[in-house]
Amino acid sequence: MFEQRFVWSAIVVAALLLAGAVLGSYPAYMIGLAMVNVIAAIGLNLLVGNSGQISLCHSSFMAIGAYSAALLAAYARLPFWLAIPCGTALAAGVGALLALPARRLGGVYLALATLGFMQIVQIALEEWSSVTGGVRGLKIPKPELWPGAVLTPFAVYGVVVAGCVLAVWTAHNLMHSRLGRELNALRLSPHAAQALGISLARIKLTAFTLSAAYAGFAGGLFAQLVGFIDPNEFGISAAVRQLTFIVVGGVGSLAGAVLGAVVLSGLPELLRPVREYNDLVFALVLLAFMLFLPHGLVVLWRAALAGRLGRREAVA
Amino acid sequence: MGATFYLQLAIAGLAVGAVYALVAVAIVIPYKASGVLNFGQGELATMGAYAAFVLASFQLPYGVAFALVLLGGAVFGMVIERLLIRPIANAPAFTLVIATFAIGLAIKSAVSVRWGDTVFSVEGPFGDDPLLFAGLRANPTSLWIVFCTVAVTALLTLFFRYARTGMAMRAVALNPEAATLMGIRVHATYRWAWAISAAIGALAGLLVAPVVGVNPEVGQLILRGLVAAVLGGFTSIAGAVVGGFAVGLIETFASVAVGSTFKNLVPFIVLLLLLAFRPYGLFGTREVHRV
Repeated sequence: MFEQRFVWSAIVVAALLLAGAVLGSYPAYMIGLAMVNVIAAIGLNLLVGNSGQISLCHSSFMAIGAYSAALLAAYARLPFWLAIPCGTALAAGVGALLALPARRLGGVYLALATLGFMQIVQIALEEWSSVTGGVRGLKIPKPELWPGAVLTPFAVYGVVVAGCVLAVWTAHNLMHSRLGRELNALRLSPHAAQALGISLARIKLTAFTLSAAYAGFAGGLFAQLVGFIDPNEFGISAAVRQLTFIVVGGVGSLAGAVLGAVVLSGLPELLRPVREYNDLVFALVLLAFMLFLPHGLVVLWRAALAGRLGRREAVA
Repeated sequence: MGATFYLQLAIAGLAVGAVYALVAVAIVIPYKASGVLNFGQGELATMGAYAAFVLASFQLPYGVAFALVLLGGAVFGMVIERLLIRPIANAPAFTLVIATFAIGLAIKSAVSVRWGDTVFSVEGPFGDDPLLFAGLRANPTSLWIVFCTVAVTALLTLFFRYARTGMAMRAVALNPEAATLMGIRVHATYRWAWAISAAIGALAGLLVAPVVGVNPEVGQLILRGLVAAVLGGFTSIAGAVVGGFAVGLIETFASVAVGSTFKNLVPFIVLLLLLAFRPYGLFGTREVHRV
């Protein structure tokens, strides 16, 4: 079973790299964006889907990762492989700081706190224009392996693929570890989890920190891939879009987060002729899934799989 | 900068706060009745503002437009409750937060698709000539907003105290099972809660339209409304009103103290501090909820 999975993963990675090589720059760019979305969705899913906490500020952590990686590359001339981890660490640190008060809150109050935090980050990005470029945005220097060695677009694409693989792999291992089970326990029954000796405060702190780290990582890659960032990319509609990824995919499931992010990253492309309807379609898709398919696409996927495999799945 | 200056600021702050107070009340009513926090509440105000704009273009008298907006808001609230909220009423908090957010986003983007980002101006009911009183100036539109807020609060207080439906809503808020056993139709009270709340939200939009202009971002009001509601303890209508006025005053005085850039940050910093130290607000009762 393990080997089969390994082979499949290798095939997917090879296919992604091949697609990036042969499809031309625009499709490769879109696939890259989809992978960035996958990373962000995985992080959000850990917090929202597994541990059951509400977050409306995931896009802000992405912003922190993106801006700090970009600024480090621009001013300190750090190569991307140092700038992105620094941005990730900073996002994780801020996530932990936010978690300190937020872990005492639940439900609606947590939604409010994260919404307030999102606004603060948003205002800071817009108003602190001497550093962030304000609403006019920030142009990012081309990613360098070391000072002077600029990456080709395909190499940047390769970095994103590698980042995405790393994110999926770590999340998969996390979910099958003690920590993953603890996160799920927190959502399913905080009382039972605590009775079993799980420290809720510690788990919530970990969940926030991890989720912010994934978002910061996604943000750093996003900045390198796109070459330009502005506060609009990280506002409330981005936060809602990321929540849509995991709701459409299937809340709490890693496969669901990946599936949702991939499917919905393609949606704006399909809607290109009617671009002004973009947000409207996202909102309606989100509502429709909430009402009619609350467990997401991953349910259909599993049903199809079970149907095809028939008894094999039942035995397993 | 003498006393007049500060009084003038206070008047401005109260006028802004009155709108926040209305939005906060509109947020608190369904939350109190059914535990659902409507993150789409701001967009109901957006709809109210656009309704005011459209009705004004038909040359309808202000009074008629006023009544139509209230009525339309109430009907829309009932429709949302029936079609979108009731089917998922028992879902986890996460689902409801996201669903109400999605409702708001859908309204906002539909409005953007139809009217774009243009800011339309509508006239206030009493013109723009400031009233002078003892050396103080006040815009008649602002006074009208404050008056409406006070009137709505008074009517709601009477409604919840003396009207049969109002008392039923209080009973349901306290204990839905017991209320059902007493013969109260719980769903009907939820419907009422959403109707009243949406009507007040639309009213806030109608009132604020002459001040800020009609544009898709009117719904941003909800952020201040939420801060006001938290400040007021989230379950008390009087608290929400006081919270609204307080946020308006804080914001206005902050703009003088720290400049207009930083002033936008102040409500959210207040929100985070409140949630960290007094999540039950300044007026709410502490809910002990141990896990």
